[in-house]
Amino acid sequence: MYRYDEFDHKLVADRVNQFRGQVERRVSGALTEDQFKPLRLMNGVYLQLHAYMLRVAIPYGTLCSAQMRMLAHIARKYDRGYGHFTTRQNIQYNWPALDKIPDLLDELAGVEMHAIQTSGNCIRNVTSDQYAGAIEGEVEDPRIISEIIRQWSTFHPEFTYLPRKFKIAVTGHVNDRAAIKLHDIGLVVKRNNDGDIGYEVHVGGGQGRTPFVAKKMTDFVPKAKLLAYLEAVMRVYNMLGRRDNSYKARIKILVHETGQEEMQRLIEAEFSKIDASQMLTVPQEEIDRISAYFAPPAFQTLAAKSDGFTQAQSQDADFARFVRANVVAHKQAGYAIVNISLKPIGGVPGDATDAQMDVIADLAEKYSLDEVRVTHEQNLVLPHVKLDELKTVYDALAAHDLATANLGLISDQIACPGLDYCNLANARSIPLAQEISERFADLDRQYDIGELKIKISGCINACGHHHVGHIGILGVDKKGTEFYQISLGGAADENAAIGQITGRAFTEEDIVDAIETVVTTYTDLRADGERFIDTYNRLGMAPFKERLYD
Amino acid sequence: MTDYHLVIDGATATESWHYLDDDAPLTDAPSIITLARLQAEADTLKSRSAPLGVILHADGLGKTDHGEDVRALAPYLDRLALVALHFPIYRNGRGYSAARVLRQEFGFTGELRATGDVLYDQWAMMNRCGINAFELAKDISLDTFKTALGELSGAYQPAADQNQGGKKGWRRSRL
Repeated sequence: MYRYDEFDHKLVADRVNQFRGQVERRVSGALTEDQFKPLRLMNGVYLQLHAYMLRVAIPYGTLCSAQMRMLAHIARKYDRGYGHFTTRQNIQYNWPALDKIPDLLDELAGVEMHAIQTSGNCIRNVTSDQYAGAIEGEVEDPRIISEIIRQWSTFHPEFTYLPRKFKIAVTGHVNDRAAIKLHDIGLVVKRNNDGDIGYEVHVGGGQGRTPFVAKKMTDFVPKAKLLAYLEAVMRVYNMLGRRDNSYKARIKILVHETGQEEMQRLIEAEFSKIDASQMLTVPQEEIDRISAYFAPPAFQTLAAKSDGFTQAQSQDADFARFVRANVVAHKQAGYAIVNISLKPIGGVPGDATDAQMDVIADLAEKYSLDEVRVTHEQNLVLPHVKLDELKTVYDALAAHDLATANLGLISDQIACPGLDYCNLANARSIPLAQEISERFADLDRQYDIGELKIKISGCINACGHHHVGHIGILGVDKKGTEFYQISLGGAADENAAIGQITGRAFTEEDIVDAIETVVTTYTDLRADGERFIDTYNRLGMAPFKERLYD
Repeated sequence: MTDYHLVIDGATATESWHYLDDDAPLTDAPSIITLARLQAEADTLKSRSAPLGVILHADGLGKTDHGEDVRALAPYLDRLALVALHFPIYRNGRGYSAARVLRQEFGFTGELRATGDVLYDQWAMMNRCGINAFELAKDISLDTFKTALGELSGAYQPAADQNQGGKKGWRRSRL
């Protein structure tokens, strides 16, 4: 993975000192809260319902064990013993004291981490595929270009006060696990007929109150020219994006109002000028320098099959279920990708305690070539585990309530923090996720239902990705009472789609029953081998609506 | 008297320009006029020899939301000694793109000035985008200004501020 050199270290240290100064000026009153707000936001500090919240960046979701241990330490020392992994592969702490945040950032800098640009109207942390470098069939490790984008976008002087926030995601695989079409810019790594690496560029996706799937702007930008292309998109957006209404300020609205073709023309015109200047052409030596950090780790040559692994599954049914649900084939013979669900039955989606983070750090160091990944579905991954050692890893996970075998199943839900934490929320999300999880607690029933993604947002801002849930749930407030609206048919993968609302919303008392009705409608009507989303796409809304409302 | 003090190229400077209302008569003093006036009076302005500047509004004076187009200045740049970029509020960042277009696309070498809501934490980024003149609140010292500009010691991307020594291409550099 990428390691800081002297240049990176110095800049992050500069940034901590700068923020320390900003906090001091706020405390002394030299800065008003209104003036301080965009500055603290640019450093990941939000003012929430009860306290300040700090969001720490985990670039493209990759961590080493020392970094994970630091996240555990911060949870212990500055928070209440836990952290919350987010849909943008970051971690949030809900209870740090403002005057301690500069010290916290100092400690983070010691393990090459920071909170730079994790909020504010700037280019946010770049996200990517949690299986990068481990999954078979990747065109190229997407973290190479993600790191180049991270550097280019860090402290970008032109794009720090954009109309609104800006999110970029990258996939290097045809199976999109990074929801790239729901980002302001989504990139797909491709190889052209000459064998050169480049990128398909999608622009203008997003959720919130006006969801859009991104529109393809170009089929192929060569690797060396990508930054010039991105700068062109950003400049068009910065000059023409709306600033009169924050709800209409994202690039998705500009793309929608301008039209795809005109947008393409504007971007191309800008791109041709920047490209001609060669100012942002990425030199081959920089590509080589950064690529070297993502060279495959020191895999051993192993047999594709492990007798011990096979035997352990036949002796331990729980382990076998874990393997079936949470373990994915690795590109390297004898290794596997191990998903750690942060969705225990009845738990808070995405939360991990300091002790759990320490355990995962130890396991990563010992058994996963020192790597951990964070997923946009709020789970963690040990990307490089030997089949021979998988049972040992499983036992350690199970001992710390980290072995729930529910990946991609109905209890593996995304939920935003909701009214329990958030300023903006209309309704609670976490307690609802917990209730649904309890209702479908029986794992055998979950396996029978199969892949089903429930995503819950406590308000229209859609942090819980409800628009792209196979079943989406949106909390709404009607005259002081919490109601929940259901949508069906959304998807965040390569077939990205926005879900359709079923009809009138359900009360807090009725919502879990309604979800169960949707699920049984599916199990009653599914053809052999159909997943929920397949059945929905075949039959449409009508049968679900009928059962829900008649 | 102005209600700001002026820093140009990192040094305190005396104001020699006047912002002119659209209905005020043009004099021989160095004058900053609006884009609308520049466009409307382009022909008569040709015969005027005194220094001319223009102010560009990022909020479009209520006409269009996306403000005045910096590229509308292209036909007039050889006659402009100054462009003032108006920041209606610090978080409206259109002026940063305008500055880079002026410096890097058009090669504008005159004074590029930030006016309006021009605060401590934005100066360094404005400077990197090619803005070399700043209208600062009167209680801000030159030392404070210099401290702000020096807070970050490096850059991850080229902008309008760097002479890359003839080298082209994306690179990191010390500031």
